[in-house]
Amino acid sequence: MMERSNSAIEFQNVTMAYDERVILDDVSFVVNPGETKIVMGGSGTGKSTILKLVLGLIKPQEGRILVDGDDTVTFSEHDMSQVRQKIGMVFQDGALFDSLTVYENVGYRLFEQGMPEPEIDEAVRRMLRFVNLEHTFDMMPSELSGGMRRRVGIARALIGNPKLILFDEPTAGLDPITARTILELAMKLRDLEGVSSIFVTHRLEDIKLLSSSYATINEDGEVEFKGEDNRFCLVNTKFIMLKEGKIIFSGTDEELSLSDHPYVRDFFREF
Amino acid sequence: MTGRAFSRAFSKPYYFREIITQMDAVGVGSLMIITLTGGFTGGILALNTAPTLKTFGATGVTGQLVMTSLVREMAPVLASLMTAGRVGSAIAAELGSMVVSEQVDAMRALGTDPIKKLVWPRLLALLLMTPALTLVADIVGAFGGYLVATSLMHISSTVYISSAKNALTYNDIVGGLVKPMVFGVIIAIVSCRAGLRTYGGTVGVGRSTTQAVVLSDILILAADFFIQKFLQVFA
Repeated sequence: MMERSNSAIEFQNVTMAYDERVILDDVSFVVNPGETKIVMGGSGTGKSTILKLVLGLIKPQEGRILVDGDDTVTFSEHDMSQVRQKIGMVFQDGALFDSLTVYENVGYRLFEQGMPEPEIDEAVRRMLRFVNLEHTFDMMPSELSGGMRRRVGIARALIGNPKLILFDEPTAGLDPITARTILELAMKLRDLEGVSSIFVTHRLEDIKLLSSSYATINEDGEVEFKGEDNRFCLVNTKFIMLKEGKIIFSGTDEELSLSDHPYVRDFFREF
Repeated sequence: MTGRAFSRAFSKPYYFREIITQMDAVGVGSLMIITLTGGFTGGILALNTAPTLKTFGATGVTGQLVMTSLVREMAPVLASLMTAGRVGSAIAAELGSMVVSEQVDAMRALGTDPIKKLVWPRLLALLLMTPALTLVADIVGAFGGYLVATSLMHISSTVYISSAKNALTYNDIVGGLVKPMVFGVIIAIVSCRAGLRTYGGTVGVGRSTTQAVVLSDILILAADFFIQKFLQVFA
């Protein structure tokens, strides 16, 4: 009998191709519980494909994908819907449902589960407070700015307390202040809630902040963000870099800075 | 897709709200164009047939000809073609936009089956509402034919009504309602399939919309031929 994995997510020799085009080629990596795995790489290198594979939206041609210990590759759509209850996904542009209000969008998962409306109302307000958007409760997605849509998308992903969050370039195209707000939310989840996550990005600012800062609670009970120093080193954030469907780097930020791979050096030339 | 939609319809959640919303969009939303289509079709049928019948001295059967053509053929086909244009295009565009903006992926990621949530309510709404709209087209068309026949063709009101009443058989009425049920399913499946298979951004949405309407129209006309033949053989 095969031993059950303790990892949050595990890719074992995964190969994925669309027609003749290979998107991921024999990719293997592990995301441990409470860990954030930052997936980097240029456009079209298969970063978002990894997230779709975790969710079971697409199936690989070869390999195994373990989510919370279950090999999901052979799961039916019905079985996968049970797995998806444990996962929150933040899409690139929010992917909010246009015809639903912010309240209905954020509470969507709970409505589907048949939860009583007063409980949904309370949970949605709590989540919107977490992303500082409580005032948008009754608004339609079309009334929100790009950054607000992403934050509502984060609130929707977090409802129901999923054990795993997938971020698909959540800061792409946003102004620095809004982008930082989203990164701080990701850090709060990582450091204060112990949520495992995969964070897909190619923005150097995201990589720098997520690998050097952390969230903590100060003496007044407020959330505070601090930088790494000689006394404290982040061990819950690791990196993988993709190039042409293959992982060319896997490790910590310190190892990343020491990598002599030409593509990695080129990627971080301005870092 | 049809089989999957039907097989998942009888388990929770039932999405009653979506079904009612779609029935409203298909039925109430199409009422105006169906009324106009039915009214003018009845009028045109009377306008065209009465002069021809006059040459044979048979204007008395104008009502019969109008009602038979209308109930058997014109109302089911034209109401369905209009529904395909109005509703089918809207379905393909809406679902296509949801696909390209990743809303369908988001729906699946949140544990919802898009076939059940998006396809089933539209399929059921079209299955039920297309015959209802056809019935409206029949009634308004009959009235349109009556108006034209009596006011422009100077046919006696009593003669027209008597001829129209005697024209229809039970099979005509049943056939006239079975056809739009099939056409409704065709519109729903073709449009949902086109929408959910959209690729290539906004250009893809336009392509899916056109594909949905054109394919629905062709399949409606082809299905009409085979259903009519079937009814003639077995009825």
